[in-house]
Amino acid sequence: MDDILQIFFQECDEQLQELEGGLSALSDGVSEHETVNAVFRAVHSIKGGAASFGLDNLVRFAHVFENALDGLRSERFAPTHDVVKIFLKAMDVLSDLVNEARGGAAVDPARVAESHAELADIGATGSQASTAPTAAGEDAIPADFSPVPMDFEPVPFDFDFGEEEEATPVASPLVVTFRPHDALYQRGDDARNILIGLADIAHACGGEIQTLCDRTTLPPLADLGVDTSYLSWRVVLPAEVAEESAQAVFDWVSDDCDFSIAREAPQVDPSMTDPSVADPSPEPDDARARPIEAPEAVSPVPAEDEHAAEPPRTTPIPAPLDLHAGAQSTTVRKPEQASIRVDLHRIDDLMDLVGELVIAQAAIESLSRRTDPAGQQELLQSIGSMQSLTRDIQDAVMAVRAQPVRAVFQRMQRVVREACSMTGKEIALTLEGEDTEVDRTLIEKLTDPLTHMLRNAVDHGIESTKARIAAGKPAEGRIVLSAEHRSGRILITIKDDGAGINRQRVFETAVKRGIVPADAALSDDEINNLIFMPGFSTASTVSDLSGRGVGMDVVRQAIQSLGGRITISSTPGRGTTFGFSLPLTLAILDGMLIAAGGSTMVIPIASVIETMIASRGDIYALPNGRNVISIRGDCMPLIPLATALKLPGAPSHNHPAAPPRDALDASVILVVENESGARAALIVDEIRDQTQVVIKSIESNYRQIFGVSAATILGDGSVSLILDVSALVASAIGQIDGKPSNIRAELAA
Amino acid sequence: MTDQTELSQVTDTKIVKMIVFAIGVQEYCIPILSVREIRGFEKTTTLPFAPPYVCGAINLRGIILTVIDLAIYLNVPPQADNPRRVVVIVESKNGIVCGLLVDRVIDMADIDLNDVQAVSEESSCLGGLVLVDERMIGILRLETVVGQLVGDTVSE
Repeated sequence: MDDILQIFFQECDEQLQELEGGLSALSDGVSEHETVNAVFRAVHSIKGGAASFGLDNLVRFAHVFENALDGLRSERFAPTHDVVKIFLKAMDVLSDLVNEARGGAAVDPARVAESHAELADIGATGSQASTAPTAAGEDAIPADFSPVPMDFEPVPFDFDFGEEEEATPVASPLVVTFRPHDALYQRGDDARNILIGLADIAHACGGEIQTLCDRTTLPPLADLGVDTSYLSWRVVLPAEVAEESAQAVFDWVSDDCDFSIAREAPQVDPSMTDPSVADPSPEPDDARARPIEAPEAVSPVPAEDEHAAEPPRTTPIPAPLDLHAGAQSTTVRKPEQASIRVDLHRIDDLMDLVGELVIAQAAIESLSRRTDPAGQQELLQSIGSMQSLTRDIQDAVMAVRAQPVRAVFQRMQRVVREACSMTGKEIALTLEGEDTEVDRTLIEKLTDPLTHMLRNAVDHGIESTKARIAAGKPAEGRIVLSAEHRSGRILITIKDDGAGINRQRVFETAVKRGIVPADAALSDDEINNLIFMPGFSTASTVSDLSGRGVGMDVVRQAIQSLGGRITISSTPGRGTTFGFSLPLTLAILDGMLIAAGGSTMVIPIASVIETMIASRGDIYALPNGRNVISIRGDCMPLIPLATALKLPGAPSHNHPAAPPRDALDASVILVVENESGARAALIVDEIRDQTQVVIKSIESNYRQIFGVSAATILGDGSVSLILDVSALVASAIGQIDGKPSNIRAELAA
Repeated sequence: MTDQTELSQVTDTKIVKMIVFAIGVQEYCIPILSVREIRGFEKTTTLPFAPPYVCGAINLRGIILTVIDLAIYLNVPPQADNPRRVVVIVESKNGIVCGLLVDRVIDMADIDLNDVQAVSEESSCLGGLVLVDERMIGILRLETVVGQLVGDTVSE
């Protein structure tokens, strides 16, 4: 049962995502019928599923939500801005209720009640005719959605929406009577088909039909005309069934059949409902048997399997409105079910490649038995093609792991919405490039930094409505969140049209907080970067949302731990753009194999700017024993790698940190750069190769090592360390110039 | 708490199977349930800023783990040329996997925890001494060793 419940929750996540997407489209003014239907369907599916698990709270709320949406669907009112806003709010409540049902934090009943009332209002204004019943039926869930006992097989989610009828609450059942003409049977039709049709409608509403056959006109057997129609039927449908839908059943037989459809008081003539009078003819029996088959027909069974394989949502728990979200929510997060949904063709591609690999392996095996030179040549070729195959397989596997950033991006709509309601600002978030695919491990880790950045953009980036109007800007602020692939990395930008960074104030604050000395001459870019310093906050008042000075540095840490870098550009009065540039995967890295101090190590190729041979004339010895090198006029610290890492194989000199200048002549150096563009030159013994390496954690069984970010396994099975260029550069720069090293390191990192 | 007390709760009879190995002339043992495998000593990759007793990192079927030279750890002269040196791969209770470089593995022994004589305080790496076949065997407290491996930082 728990398994099925899990599937239901996964299903809910998907439906909520659908709901979010649909409502966003609606708020953007796209009110196509299909969009409205999708939104309705999402809520309905959640309701249906919740009912079968007895999740009362969820069912009750979803029901009201559905009723309100129904008004939209039947175009009783238009999706105005206010209406959509109420729906969005309701969606947040709904997703919290789902989370509550899943065992998450309890939802504030007041919030539920408030949203509940708003939805009920919409439902009511939408349909004057049914105002009273809506109000009355608001809390009473219709019988068809009362929780089903648990020994029941759960009712699979109803996807077949077309047959679902409008659930206008009506007190009295619908009574249909019909009497087929002879012509109906002559055309090969059958009263049975009508009965099945009616049973289907009733079932779609969760009810049953009561069928009664009127045999009064049936003559004695002797007088029975073979091709004459004698029988008529009276069918009582549940109250939820709309007349129009019953009418539709008769669309094709209206000429060959007398029929009437009417609402009737529930009190039916007892003799008519008495089961003993039930018609003995086989047709109605068939019809009554029908509802039992119906669930199979309505709900495609494969759907369940499909949902079992559904990707886990990265954060089922909506991020709490907490400033420290970035730091804390990781501890709150429950372990995810590890499954992803993958396009079948990607698996097929992978399978094809594996097939080729098997063939290539067989070829190599047979070639390896040949000893003649030609055979050797072919063997080398085969190995070459195997290499490219391996690369293809790697790409294919990465494609399997890739997921669009949509899931994370759509969650941000809610973040902005909630932040807006707390700050009283009007802000529209536009998403771009949601289809951009990244490795799923990366997606999961993006949520917190993005949440924080967006809250920050709402709170600090965008001015208050009054200030905006005064500045001649539209009252509604705009934030654009976009993702794109750029040269093997993913670039995520958060752009607002707010006031921009007030550099003067940032600098003053940094001085006040003792982050930089008052006489420091910093470039605009350096000042912008000050906001990522720990303990920095420019907001004069500490707001609920952000502004306690933690957070931005947490964001930077999070992004850097993903191997990413943050860029800021800001124009006063025009807005600020933050860019996150991240590697596409956290699993594989292009690296340069180098040797230093007797060890083979890997430097991420992305951070290597150039390699060269040092010439003595470019090296300057500093008084503190360190060296700097000038490369085309650019001065940067010169770090002997083996000594910096205190490797035992390091050449021993008089000064442990800096070999004399002469010894450095003609040594191999790598110019490396960290995320913010600070450079340093590393002295290595030798450059061996350029290769792709698989990143392995070293901390899981050991501890963090300065200057080392991870490890990898080389072709010969030995372990090789992957260098942490940021840390090396930062520490080198800190040792070179006179500024306090921690500040310099922070600025550089 | 310690390996011994916990294991005794599981088994009721206070007898624990231990693997006995030698470091120099002294013999030590650890519960056999914490041992994952024993393999020959191979070249390790030197780790920067590592404490002296860490030989380096090795690759165990895709997992990277560090090897501790128990001789250095226990202040016994290491026998670099001993061909019988092996690495005992152990897993601590909190899932940290590491290798212990020992001079040779001797055998297995059923050790009755009631016979163990405590020799030092809780935090020490030596959990106690026990007499097996007239030989004194030290019981190595794995959690202490692994805890130090993960926690010890040697500053630059």
